[in-house]
Amino acid sequence: MKYILLMSGTEAGVASYHTWAQSDRATHMQTLHGIEKELKETGEFVATQPLTGPKEAKVVRGEKNGLPVTDGVFPEAKEFLLGYWIVDVATHDRACAIAGKISAAPGPGGIPTNVPIEVRQFLVRDGAR
Amino acid sequence: MKYMLMMNTMRAGAGVPAWPKADLQAHIAFMHSLNRDLRDSGELVQAEGLSFPNQARLVRAGKDGVPATDGIFPESKEFLAGFWIVDVDNPEQAYAIAARVSAAPGPGGAPLNMAIEVRPIMSAPPPEML
Repeated sequence: MKYILLMSGTEAGVASYHTWAQSDRATHMQTLHGIEKELKETGEFVATQPLTGPKEAKVVRGEKNGLPVTDGVFPEAKEFLLGYWIVDVATHDRACAIAGKISAAPGPGGIPTNVPIEVRQFLVRDGAR
Repeated sequence: MKYMLMMNTMRAGAGVPAWPKADLQAHIAFMHSLNRDLRDSGELVQAEGLSFPNQARLVRAGKDGVPATDGIFPESKEFLAGFWIVDVDNPEQAYAIAARVSAAPGPGGAPLNMAIEVRPIMSAPPPEML
């Protein structure tokens, strides 16, 4: 069963991350890399990606003539997807356990960030897409 | 350049929309055809639909490392319904693909005009984050 683990945050949250001590940021990233390495070893890893920030995001709608209409203005308070992990696991509980590990990645002073991770299963489809 | 195109829904409930079957089939056929086009042009990296919000969980790390799960979301929360990752030469191509997704047919075949969020994917975290 494939799941996507979604890490979201606000601009204020990202700004706060940049105020962490360099060593705290390094420890945080090392923990996330460690989780990725473990998932690769268990064969549960599919993909992970960080996304660029809201300033580079656009919202697109199709015009009647099929041409894209883009809008780059987002409300300050909007939650943004910061990044995701796609995992292939045997049970729903295992997906939640991995999300728990990500949530426990250390923040300033080594204290877990406790960031909420949204856990969503892929739609299972039969036949070719 | 890789981009993630995100299709969000405000619908907090479960299940497929209550459209006539023919309209749903036309919508799904449109999405399949779009994905085939993107695969043929070599631009498609991955496309997935996600299960409905009633199966979603919000997880935080408990103190003892045991995941604490919560399945209750505010009604107004936007949910990711599905996404496409495309590999294109410039942002305009990503926007053009997003516009095609946005125009997927809804009830009576009218374009849904869904808002699609387009975000560049980082190849690695920026050096200042490490």
